Amino acid sequence: MNDQWTDRLSEYVDGELASGERTALEAHLATCAECRATLEELRRVVARAKALEDRAPKADLWAGVAKRIGSGQVVDIRSRRRFSFSVPQLIAASIALILLSGSGMWLALRSRQTATRTPRPDAEWQVLNVSTRRTDAAIADLQEVFERNKSRLDTSTVRVVQQAFTTIDRAIAEARAALEADPGNAYLNLHLADTMRRKLELLRRVNAIAAAQS
Amino acid sequence: MRDQVIEDTLPADSIAADVALAASGDASAFERLYRTHVARVHSLVRRMLDADEADDLTQDVFVRAWEKLSTFRGESAFATWLHRLAVNVVLGRRKTLGVERGRFHGGEDPLEGVSGRRETPEMSMDFEDALARLPDGARQVFVLHDVEGYRHEEIARMLGVVPGTSKSQLHHARMALRRYLDR
Amino acid sequence: MLTMLTAAVLASLAPQQGETDTTIAVPAGASLSVNNFGGSIVVHAWPQNRVKIHAEHGSRGGIEASLAGNTLTLRAGSRHGAPSVVDFEITVPQDMGLTLSGTYTEIEVDGVRGPISAETVDGSIDVRGGSGIITLHSIQGSVTLADATGRIEVNSVNESVELSNISGQIKAETTNGDVSLMGIKSASVEATTINGEVEYEGTISDGGTYSFTSHNGDITVSVPEGANVTLSVATANGDIDASFPLPFTGTREKHRYTFKLGTGSARMEAESFQGDINLRRPAEMHMQHKDKDKDKHRNDNQDHEEP
Repeated sequence: MNDQWTDRLSEYVDGELASGERTALEAHLATCAECRATLEELRRVVARAKALEDRAPKADLWAGVAKRIGSGQVVDIRSRRRFSFSVPQLIAASIALILLSGSGMWLALRSRQTATRTPRPDAEWQVLNVSTRRTDAAIADLQEVFERNKSRLDTSTVRVVQQAFTTIDRAIAEARAALEADPGNAYLNLHLADTMRRKLELLRRVNAIAAAQS
Repeated sequence: MRDQVIEDTLPADSIAADVALAASGDASAFERLYRTHVARVHSLVRRMLDADEADDLTQDVFVRAWEKLSTFRGESAFATWLHRLAVNVVLGRRKTLGVERGRFHGGEDPLEGVSGRRETPEMSMDFEDALARLPDGARQVFVLHDVEGYRHEEIARMLGVVPGTSKSQLHHARMALRRYLDR
Repeated sequence: MLTMLTAAVLASLAPQQGETDTTIAVPAGASLSVNNFGGSIVVHAWPQNRVKIHAEHGSRGGIEASLAGNTLTLRAGSRHGAPSVVDFEITVPQDMGLTLSGTYTEIEVDGVRGPISAETVDGSIDVRGGSGIITLHSIQGSVTLADATGRIEVNSVNESVELSNISGQIKAETTNGDVSLMGIKSASVEATTINGEVEYEGTISDGGTYSFTSHNGDITVSVPEGANVTLSVATANGDIDASFPLPFTGTREKHRYTFKLGTGSARMEAESFQGDINLRRPAEMHMQHKDKDKDKHRNDNQDHEEP
């Protein structure tokens, strides 16, 4: 049902029609039972939407949240005093250093101030961009070689090797995603590069083994 | 707005106190906030995306809230702030999927062929199920407008469309959902 | 039977019985190379200048032996082109260098004092002893090394790597498995995995470099009291947990934190993308490790019961 009147009904329900259009629509509604029925249904949909009840998740998700914010719920009976920092705490809180009776400076957490953001070193990021492309190409090449030669390997070896590839690929994807959110970060840059290098090394090693099988 | 319901059932002081405590690193206070608001957040996430991702994303929302708690200045209700944060997390997730899909086109009806007509109640689908079946874009407009109360201008900005698209998608969503009212 | 082989003599030994037993005299300083395909290679040591070989290869198989210069080479013989499955049991002079390789081969070495290279595709490698250059590689198989000293490089791909009571330079790596280094005396350690945990219990020497990395596993490092070390700890999604005070010297960027203990002389990197970084005292690590061993041996016994 796509006529010009039906299409205006939602806006009418929301009070968004200009006065001229509204008058015309109301005049039409007076004569069209079908449109009146549709209007009524639309109103009920809106009311139903507003009445939707919130449902808590089936699983208790707090444990997962707690772990990530570092609430330290797990009590290790063996260690007496523990000094735990959750990374989000370190980031979000400002750091107050307290001198403690000669044994050096400790880390204590205070609230409110967010850490200042260091400016993103664009040049660094550009360099990484280029080098992962090169590594990507090298990986793709070696992958091709692997596909060509893997018939020389036993199926269980191939399976095991592919499991390892899957593990590394997943790690690469996670590292990439984190880096996209945080391009200037040196640790993330290095971690991605290291993980890609692992893939490269494994491919080389496996290709060498396959070649030796002939 | 719907957030007022939560704020009204608990003394405002206790929520404000928990927010202050949580902002200074008190995880038990944050857990109390979590318990109070998780149903709301989870439902929003579930309706905007899908049930599969809702658990993970709900956790993401709360972890982000913990990280950003120090930026909450208390000018609006905490529930409103948290709610907006949840919407942002959901929209951020959408962006990483990168696919512009899920709009109604022309006269199609995505729920066509799915039983839900009143004539066959034994195979019926309830309103929330039907909502989940809408194309992503239309569903999100519907959730943001009719469930969460955002206006078309805001929705258009959030989803990266023009307000006209938001309005027409809303209309189509409502028209499609008409059949599932009585479940 | 005492046999002396000279020059490039390729000999097939006792093909009919399914077993070969022979002892070969070797010059001092000789090394042994064993190439197997399927089966196992087990090497023990004795204080004699002879190599005793016991090989089980089935009636269709055999082994080939050749002595060229200073290297005795044993090979799984192949009949009609198909490589055979051989179980080698070899006793060698204590200082003999070993190069052992196989495809579906388990390798076990005990009591030697010389350099060792062991490589297999599908099979575990277990070595006790060794000195000098020690290289152990497996793809599908766990690798363990104990009581060794020297320049050590150990890796697996799909299983764990365990080193205990080792001194020297160490590089230990795997992809889908844990890396465990216990009782280490070293000033240069690198341990890395992608999907697994890393644990280290050993010295932290002044001027030493230590690197422990994982993608999604926890890193647990023991830091003795009085250690002088600059700790660079990085994790994108995990926690940092220490059993002792950690003097914080700053964070130059998100995810990475530096702590300085004592003079900060040694340099240590403990990094996990998603796992936690745990810093412990040696006594705690011993306790934790004992518990883990108990669990592991419980599981080992179950494995042996399977048909």
